[in-house]
Parts: sequence; C-alpha cells; structure tokens
Amino acid sequence: MNRTTDLALPTIGADESYPPLVLTPRQDLAGYLISWAGRSIFFAITCISVLSILLIFAFVMYEAIPFFKQYSIVGFLAHTDWYPQSIPPRFGALALVIGSFYVTFTSLLFAIPVGILAAVFLSEMVGKSIRSIAKPIIEVLAAIPSVAYGFFAIKVLAPWMQRHLGLPTGANALNASLVLAIMAVPTITSVAEDAISAVGRDLREAAYSLGSTRFETTFKVVVPAAHTGIIAAVILGMMRAIGETMVVWMAAGNASQIPKPWWDLSQSIRTMTATIAGEMGETAKGSIHYHALFALGLLLLMITFGLNILSDVLLSRNRKSTGRT
Amino acid sequence: MRLGLRLALDRSFTMLAATAVIVLALALLVLLVPMVSRGTSAVFFRGTVEFRRMQLALYHRGKPGQINAEIDRATAARKRIYDLVDQFKQGIHTDDLKVQLRRIHRQLGQELQERGLTGQDYARLRTISTEIRDRLERALDTTDPNEVRVNLDYVLTFSINPELSSTSAQAYFKIAHQLRETMQRMDLAKRMEYASALRELEGILQELFGPRPSSQLPPLLRQQYGATRWDQAQVLLHKLLYKEQWVQQDPDRPLIRVETPRKTLFAGTSLEELFDYVPRHIEEMLLPRLTVYWQFFVDDSLESHTFGGVGPELLGTILITITAMVIIIPLGIISAAYLSESSADWLPIRIIRMCLNTLAGVPSVVFGLFGLAFFVLTILPALGFGARPSILAAGLTLAVLALPVMIRASEEAIRAVPQSYKEAALALGAGPVRTFLTVTLPAAMPGILTGIILSLSRIAGETAPVLFTGAVAMGPVARSILQPTRTLAYGSYDMAVGDRIADLSPHNQYGMVVILVLLILLLNALAIMLRARASNKLRGHA
Repeated sequence: MNRTTDLALPTIGADESYPPLVLTPRQDLAGYLISWAGRSIFFAITCISVLSILLIFAFVMYEAIPFFKQYSIVGFLAHTDWYPQSIPPRFGALALVIGSFYVTFTSLLFAIPVGILAAVFLSEMVGKSIRSIAKPIIEVLAAIPSVAYGFFAIKVLAPWMQRHLGLPTGANALNASLVLAIMAVPTITSVAEDAISAVGRDLREAAYSLGSTRFETTFKVVVPAAHTGIIAAVILGMMRAIGETMVVWMAAGNASQIPKPWWDLSQSIRTMTATIAGEMGETAKGSIHYHALFALGLLLLMITFGLNILSDVLLSRNRKSTGRT
Repeated sequence: MRLGLRLALDRSFTMLAATAVIVLALALLVLLVPMVSRGTSAVFFRGTVEFRRMQLALYHRGKPGQINAEIDRATAARKRIYDLVDQFKQGIHTDDLKVQLRRIHRQLGQELQERGLTGQDYARLRTISTEIRDRLERALDTTDPNEVRVNLDYVLTFSINPELSSTSAQAYFKIAHQLRETMQRMDLAKRMEYASALRELEGILQELFGPRPSSQLPPLLRQQYGATRWDQAQVLLHKLLYKEQWVQQDPDRPLIRVETPRKTLFAGTSLEELFDYVPRHIEEMLLPRLTVYWQFFVDDSLESHTFGGVGPELLGTILITITAMVIIIPLGIISAAYLSESSADWLPIRIIRMCLNTLAGVPSVVFGLFGLAFFVLTILPALGFGARPSILAAGLTLAVLALPVMIRASEEAIRAVPQSYKEAALALGAGPVRTFLTVTLPAAMPGILTGIILSLSRIAGETAPVLFTGAVAMGPVARSILQPTRTLAYGSYDMAVGDRIADLSPHNQYGMVVILVLLILLLNALAIMLRARASNKLRGHA
C-alpha cells in the first residue's frame, strides 16, 4: 500500500507539455504498419515448426527413395532376412518391424494397467497432499534420459535376470519390455489423468447419489466417459515405446529374429530403431544400406505419424464429449 | 452379502490403484539407488597410495614429499610378498635357473682361462663344470624326488673341492642348496600346476600392488598402477584369496561358480604364508584414505576411462545444449506468444498445432537421421563448412527436437497470465507488442523459465539424435563448435556396452551416467519448484 506513494505521478499543467492523446494519421498508419509487420514476423517464426516437420518428412523421404528404386517394397516389408553385408545385400525388414511392435505390445501389457490405475488413483482417490508427492515421482520417471534407462537395463537388470531367472542372456525382449513399460507409464498416466479429471462433476455425483461405490463410479461412469482420452493416452504411450531407441538397442539383444514360440519373452529381438542407431555409424553415405536405414526411418515416421493423428482425433473428441465442466 | 461384496471390491480396487503408484515409486527407487550409490563413488571413495601416486605422476597433484614417503612405507610393507614369491619361484621357474646355470658355466670357463690354467687342468675343471651343470639341469627337469636328491648330493660333493673355492662355481652350490631346501617342501609332481597357479597369482599381485618396483614399466597405463581404490582392492584381495572356477554339473544347466581358497593350491609350500600375510597387512601396503576426487568433473579420461573423469563429456553436453538453447529460446517464446494470442480456430493456427504435435511425436532416432541428412550433409556443406558431424549440427538437430517442448511450456505460461494484466496495459494505451513485452512476458517469465529448463534437460539427455550428428565415443576435446564432441549421454551408452575395459572400472561407468541423471534431475527439480512458485504468484495476483 505504501508503494503507491512512491510513484511520481505526472502532474498536469506542469512545465513539460504533453502531446495530445489523439494520434495523427501518420502516427496511426505507422503504428498499424509496425504492428502488422510484427505480426507477420511472429507468424513467420511460428511457422518454423511447420517447416521443420515438413523438412523432416522431405529429407527422410528423399534419402529413402533411392532404396525403393533398387529394392522392391515387397522384399522390404514381407521378408525377414536383414543381411546388409551379404552379397547381394538383403533388406527384409519384417523381423525388425515385428520386433518393434513386439516389445511395444509386451511393454504396454505392463504399462497400461499400471498407468491407468495410477491415473485413476491420482485423479479420483487422493487429495492434494499425496498428489503433490506422487506427481513428481511420475515426472521424474518421465525426465530420466533414455540412455540411463538403457544403462540400468544392461548393467543392473540383465545380470540380475541372468542370475535369478536362469536365462542364457539378460539382454532379451523381457528386459527391454519391462524398462520400456516404466518409460511409457508416465506418458499414459499424465494424459489419462487429464482425460479422467476432465469428466464433469455432475456425472460422478449422479453415480454416487444412486448408491454406487467408488469402484463402480469409476469403471461404469468416469472411465467410459473418458474412454477416448484414455485410448489416446495408451496410443501416446505406445508411440513413446515404439520410437524409443537406446533401451531396445542396449537391452533387447539385437538379434534380428521373430521369437519362436511367439510368447517366449526370454529371446533376443531387434527393433527398427535399434537397427538404425546401430548400423548408421558403419555405412558409407550414399550406399544402399544407408538408404535402407532411411527407409526404415520413413516407415517408423509413418507409423508414429498415423498414431499421432489418431491420438489427436481421440483427444479432441474427448475434449468435446467431456467439455461441459 | 451383495453389498459386502461390492464394498470389498471397492476396497480392493483402491488398494490395487494405490499399489500401481507404489510400484512406480519402487521402480524409481530401484532405478536410482544402485546407480546413484555406485556412481557417487566415482568422486567419493577411499583412495589408496596407488591413487595418490597416479595423481602425482599424471597431474602433479598432492605433495610430492608426503606421497613419496607413503610410497616408501607401502613398498617396505610389500617387500615380504615379493620375497616369498621369489623364494617359491626357484623351484618352479626352472628355465630361469637353467639360463643362470649356463651363465655360470660360461663365466667359470673365462675365470679359469684368466687364471692361466691351460691344458689338462683346464679341460678337467671344464668337464667337472659341465658335469655339475648337467646334473643340476637333470635335477631341475625331473619330478622324481629321489633322482633330485641323488643329483644334488652328487653336485654338493664338489663343494669341498679346493680348486673350485672362490670361483663362480660357488654359485652352483648355492643354487643346489636352495634347490634342496625348496624341493623338500614341494611336491614336484605338481610343478606344472604350481607354475600356472603362480603366474595367475603374480598377475593378481600386479593388479593389486602395481608392477614390482624393480621391473620394467608396462606399456599400458592401467598396468602401471595397482588398485587405486579401496573397493577395487577388496575385490582383488578376494580374487587373490579365492580362485573362481565355473564348473559344469549338468550339461543342460548353466555353469556353477565354485570358489576354492587359493591357499589350498599352495598347501605345504613356502608360499602358504603369503595368504595370511596379505589380508593382515593390506592396509599398510595400500594406505587407504578417504578421497574426494572432485577433478572427476574436469579431468579427461585415460585409456578407455580406466582413470580420469568426464570433463570433455560434460563440456560437450553443455556446448551442445547451449547451441540448441540459443536457437530455441527466442523461437520458442515468439511462437508461443503468437500461438497464445491467436484464435484457436483459425486454420493456419490449427495446422501449426497439428505440426507441433507431430513434431513432438517423431521418434528421436528419426531426428538423428534428419539431422544427418539435412544439417550434416546438406546445410553445413552449403554454408561452406565440412560435411561432418559437429556440435553445431547436433545442437541444431536437438533444437528441432526440443522446440515443441519449449513452445508448449511457454504457451502455457503465457496463457496463465491473467487477462486483467493485459487489459490494464491495453487500457493505458500500450499497443499489443508493448503489452506483450512489458506486461505479459515479465509476468510469464517464471513459467517460460520452467519451459527453458525442461527443454534443457530434454536436450542434455538425448542420445539417439546426436549419434550421427555430433557425438563421438573417443577423440580430442572439441576446439570449436564445428568439431564433434563426446557427450555424457553417448559416453554412458558407450561405456555400458562398448568394451570390456570399461567394465574394469565400474565406478567410472556409473559415475558418467549418474552425473547425467543428477544433472537432469536437478534441472527438473528446479523446474518443478519454479512452476509451483509461478502459479502461486499468478494465482495470488489474479
């Protein structure tokens, strides 16, 4: 309150004469032009992100096209023989694509229940004090760099698995899936929590007033109302897992094979991301192998782009369906 | 009953949900505790005299007088070990002795010539010398104790020969005496076994105490020093005392580790004493002391991270991060300002938002591919720089990666500024630009700072995008941003899977990754705190 007295308020009618508050037409025009120019520059700068994504697509595609000119798409997508060093080299990426989806789905098997339960717990069951402890835990899990997860997987988890589960190698699909699951949970939890807390209070109150328990309210009313948002959360978690490089490169064992039998998690597998990361350093720029890795990158980009659009659509639908709060 | 069931279901569901959060908390603990506890030992540990010797020799750190005194004390304590080993060796390493015998024989011949002996005397003594030499060699070769005794007794009959007194031949008899002593205490049939066991033992001793003071310096740096750390010394001591073997019990099952006390391998020999002496006197021989190796943050690493620290990696990470931040701070704030002030329904804005979402979803390794194809191979050569990975290219790639993070956080911060602030500014006659610069931006600054810190932590931790654009596992410290650099993230990867040498110094492996993790956790803690304060402040004013 005292502060106002310190302000030197201009006193009208003092020595200095103030310009009139009405602008001349010239000043008006100049102000308009400056503001317009400023806006255009701001707009142009904002468009850099658009430019970036276009450039990413353009350049990855540009480098991938030479591969498809020399190698058939069917051979690339439908065969499992990835032997870039053989003569002639073979680039059947099916095992890698399957490997990517394999670890992604197995990790989601762990991550979806944990992630959604945690989201429900945080938004439905606890007050501010526990939230303020639990939220940072999830944020920290999200913030830990992927190479640290990979380090944990190969240096701590893999020897443990080898010793206690009697597996021949600790670098296998199970290891990578477990660690990927921990990495995907924060994404799932935070997006699902947003979706669940966006559900209107009226729905909950109606359910409680009819005598539902919290479990019934949550699973019969709240979760169905937020289901699009929860599915979007799962898709975003899936994107995190499928695009993850370091953990699968370090911990999945890097054997280009489809597990046989398919449910055997203790086998080594290899993903698209790990292949790109592992082999790009050894290829000659401009060779067919180099272009093949870009083709893999393009495929990965397409997959995540599709998933992204799907999650965008679902999230905007969720916003509309729960948007009456 | 039905109600009871419903309530029980409700209760158990609550428990299950709580378990999910507890599982996450446990996962965080399991992840961080072993890494941090092992990683901090790269800086805080009990350093031995070998560590101080290394620091003095390589970096001129410490007081030379004091350290040399310590080295002398340790060397004195270690002398007993080498004496024991040398004594034992005599019965084992017969090749050395045979060379010695031949030398004595040659020397004796020269001596006899110098004395002026010629003709028959010379020939006779020369024959005796040959005879002694052959007998001793036979004693050395055989594994039959009787034959050894017979040969040695035969040789020793010459020891009273006056013609041979005060000549080199006395060396023969000395060897014979020692041999007799050693042979009495050793099972000769086990000689080959002993030889290989001794070789192993000497290897461990060298790892523990460094090369013997008298011997030549080995070429590799890590062989020039013994155990520099007390924890390392403990492991080596265990290795010294127990021999580890992998035994197959069942062809289908994995091998089983069996440890046998090494003492039993040398049972009955003079070397047995060593296995009591070393554990009892190890502290005197290594002089461990609590050490804070803060130079870990600045030192370059030596020989695949055997010694040294993570200085260049830390520097590289900081340089790449700064390069990226210089680009995305202005870009991010301007974009966020524009997005937050524009109508959400305008088509270009919707397109921009969609692109931002897509950008945020691009896998990090694809950013690496893009950075390689665009920055490294296209833009930098077009600007006249070399087409090779560099800090600049890595920084640009990471800037594109972190742009969505920055824009989202800044936009959130700008949106959180109460409308009344802007209205007040506009009412006072400020234009939109001035309103933004003087009112909205300062009010949103803490939130924007949060965004900056979060993108910082994202950039510092990324590995895949810099794999092809600017990171190297080894190499000189970068002198300009047009050169590639080592980074903490790539270094962590490389040390974890790169080679077996790094496995020999786990403290450095864990140290590298822990510095990265702690750096990022610190940044995030800062961001969380700032955000809490910013939102409290704005809420208070609104």
